[in-house]
Amino acid sequence: MGVIALDRLEVRLGGRTVLNGLTGELRGHAIGLLGPNGAGKSTLINTLLGFHEPSGGNAKVLGLDARTDRMRIRQSVGYMPENDSFIGNMSGVRFVRYMAELAGLPPAAALERAHEALFYVGLGEVRYRKISTYSLGMKQLIKLAQALAHGPRLLILDEPTNGLDPTARQRMIQLIKEVRKEGSMHMLISSHLLRDIDETCDEVLILNKGRVAAISNIEEERRSHRNFIEMEMSGSTEEFAQKMRAMGCECACFAGGRVKVVMPDALSARDLYVTAAGTGTEIRRIQQRRDSLEDIFLRAMEYEGDRVGDSRQQVFAAGVES
Amino acid sequence: MNAVNDTIRFENVSKFYGEVLGVNRITLSLEPGVTTLVGPNGSGKTTLMNLMTGLVQPSRGKISLLGLEPSNATEFFCNVGYCAQFDSFPRGLTGFQFILDSLMLFGMTDEDAHALAAEALERVQLDAAAAHRKIAGYSKGMRQKIRLAQAVAHHPRVLVLDEPLNGLDPMARAESLALFQELGRQGLHVVISSHILDEVDRVADRVVLITGGYLIAQGNIHEVRQEVRDKPMQLLIRCDNPELLASKMFAVNHCVEARLHADGRGVFLRTGDVDQFYRLLNEIAVEGKVKIEAVAPFDDNANAIYQYLIGSDGSTQ
Amino acid sequence: MSVFLHEYRPYTGSTTPLWNRPLVLARYAFKEAWASKITTILFVAALLPCVVEMVMIYLAANPVARTLILRGSPVLTINESFFLNVLETQCWFALVMAAWIAPRLVSFDLGDNALPILLSHPISRFSYVLGKFLALALSLSYVTWLPVIVLFVYQCYASPESWAMAHLGLAFGILVGSLLWIIVLALVGLAVSAWVKWRVIATGAMFAVVFVPAGVGGIANAILRTKWGLLLNVPVIMTEIWQRLLGAPAFMNPRLELPSAAMGVMLLLASLLCIAVLNARIRAREVVRG
Repeated sequence: MGVIALDRLEVRLGGRTVLNGLTGELRGHAIGLLGPNGAGKSTLINTLLGFHEPSGGNAKVLGLDARTDRMRIRQSVGYMPENDSFIGNMSGVRFVRYMAELAGLPPAAALERAHEALFYVGLGEVRYRKISTYSLGMKQLIKLAQALAHGPRLLILDEPTNGLDPTARQRMIQLIKEVRKEGSMHMLISSHLLRDIDETCDEVLILNKGRVAAISNIEEERRSHRNFIEMEMSGSTEEFAQKMRAMGCECACFAGGRVKVVMPDALSARDLYVTAAGTGTEIRRIQQRRDSLEDIFLRAMEYEGDRVGDSRQQVFAAGVES
Repeated sequence: MNAVNDTIRFENVSKFYGEVLGVNRITLSLEPGVTTLVGPNGSGKTTLMNLMTGLVQPSRGKISLLGLEPSNATEFFCNVGYCAQFDSFPRGLTGFQFILDSLMLFGMTDEDAHALAAEALERVQLDAAAAHRKIAGYSKGMRQKIRLAQAVAHHPRVLVLDEPLNGLDPMARAESLALFQELGRQGLHVVISSHILDEVDRVADRVVLITGGYLIAQGNIHEVRQEVRDKPMQLLIRCDNPELLASKMFAVNHCVEARLHADGRGVFLRTGDVDQFYRLLNEIAVEGKVKIEAVAPFDDNANAIYQYLIGSDGSTQ
Repeated sequence: MSVFLHEYRPYTGSTTPLWNRPLVLARYAFKEAWASKITTILFVAALLPCVVEMVMIYLAANPVARTLILRGSPVLTINESFFLNVLETQCWFALVMAAWIAPRLVSFDLGDNALPILLSHPISRFSYVLGKFLALALSLSYVTWLPVIVLFVYQCYASPESWAMAHLGLAFGILVGSLLWIIVLALVGLAVSAWVKWRVIATGAMFAVVFVPAGVGGIANAILRTKWGLLLNVPVIMTEIWQRLLGAPAFMNPRLELPSAAMGVMLLLASLLCIAVLNARIRAREVVRG
């Protein structure tokens, strides 16, 4: 049973078709949701939460139908919205308690879990002050605390690191990783920051203009054995590239001395150095790169609609020839 | 007939003041001896002590002191002595009268009370002449002593002390610590809350760390230190050839980090496996190429543990 | 175990049933409404007339007092008209209270965009409104039928049994009349508060909504030489309804009397309009667009 299952999901808002035939199944522990502005990420999240009625097709969250089982979905979900969303007149504890009780916890348990959640996200004495007096970082944390307090099965985070300073951002990422490690919750994280998604997620859904641009399992990509090497070289790289190709590698040169090579298993990094010495070039920087999320994302934007994965080699070859 | 029960037991105890958190889900079991209670301000230490001395009732959970419960008031309070951190006394009393009054509350005869009061004064080393002066004229140290005297006078089996060394001069501190240690040896429970961690470290048998209303760590300092797994242990080794020592240690792969001491005659080594490390260190010392002068764990004390677990801003790591 | 790592732990306890959630909302809303000192002041002010009326009932039932103070004048007769006046007074106080409380219930939620988080929990739009409605209705009950019924009971106690038997219908009338007013008032209050952003303006708008149509109705009456303009006149409609429920003597000019059915329909329309407004406003705010 997938965490999120989409079947030709179509959502129309105000006469426009915002989500146009989304299909796919996401099973990951932490799912990233990516896409440019206007791609439909927020609409998708709102549809899953039951705020929008699908005009066609179907969406399922944790096996529950988004059209008919709205209340049960909302029962199992913790939502951290992107925008400021709180009741300014209440203290932090009161707010988290209120939300926990609305999620079904009895009052005594709600108070206890509220304090636990606040402790876990790191809000100390601040929790007794009115939320309207909080800084931006604290407001983000209070949203996270209320999403966690009732122990949901799916945590939906919309731009969790929005507006946070570097330290706070690190802390938020750390929290997300810890929650993921704990294992009892699935997560759906929507963000613009590829690095955040890369660090925390194991599967991504990339949307573009209301369609699925890519579904990719980053975890698998990471584990797959690739001799994909990225280098920075000085000197003329053309000759080097020719020699490498002669040895059976795929090699592409870019501006600024950057070279990307895919080597067959027989060769090793030492061969690169030997070839470089032979052609009078120097390797300044060398690293083994598995396909980073950035590559996947950019490729998805160009080749919209294709499934990434097996087509990668073709795509890479196409890139090499260009 | 109950078997002699000499533990202080907290079972899943929570205390809320309305919405405000005092302590949450504390489970503790303390043996006799000296226990240090450590935590930042506002962490729930005072609430914990109030719960222990029966001054507040828990919102949830059960507390039992030596098998007694706070509901059994007379017996309970006879066995507890509390030295608060607040410096207020009834007006117009002398030190001796203060102790006497509190003793009389336990229902003993005049004679007994006088004897015990005198004994208490002697224990805290407060001058008999001073004791018969009004408290209003006491110095800070004397007030502390008189509070301490009042707490121990009725021979409680549990002694809870909130910042008992506050305001005492170095000699008085040493004396008080000796007294606590002695009481601990006699089989009392002595629970001390203090911010001056190095001092209490010397006399404490175990430490209880609390922050944000939650129990973070409990046990013997060394035990706790060893269990803080994610931070390898740091030792300072003073020797004549620190670089050689460090390279030898790295060669056998037990060091995570090495840092030379500023004066060039020592090295800080961080190791993940303490037992192996000591064995190797001994072998190196026997080998003789490096003359080792001093070896000491650098962070095996309450301060370091406090820093690791509670951190400099009072929030958990 | 020496070191306790307080990590996240999932919730394994029981959950309350779904129908309980609007009650949670109602509870918190109620506390929020009464957290303000002004609410308490209004409440006390609203009960003062009841105290006076209680004294009047006492005097009316006490023959010594009657002869001494009133020398047998018929001023102090406790009957339907008396209770009509009492109910009317209390209900106007209820209007003031609603004008103050209703904005407090809704604007705090709307002000900082709390609806997306609120409604992401298992409550529907209907439950949300129901919760607020219950809190408001309970608060208004404290100043309408609760004190008046207490007065009625006191009157039954103070007067001979025959009076109680003859006037039992009054209790029913008081209850229904109050509830009718509470429902209309609560719905109007919530709708106006959801519509207008600032609390102070919402309070003013409440009064406007009640009295402005009355003025418009009066003008319509004068111009069109008809009585149907009175349908817009809430004070008149409500008093008429109460009068008929309590069985008090008619006070209106017979020419200007309106059929009960028409008045009922009017109130129903007003309520439906409010519900529609609430639905629209909540839908607009439950998702942040753009």
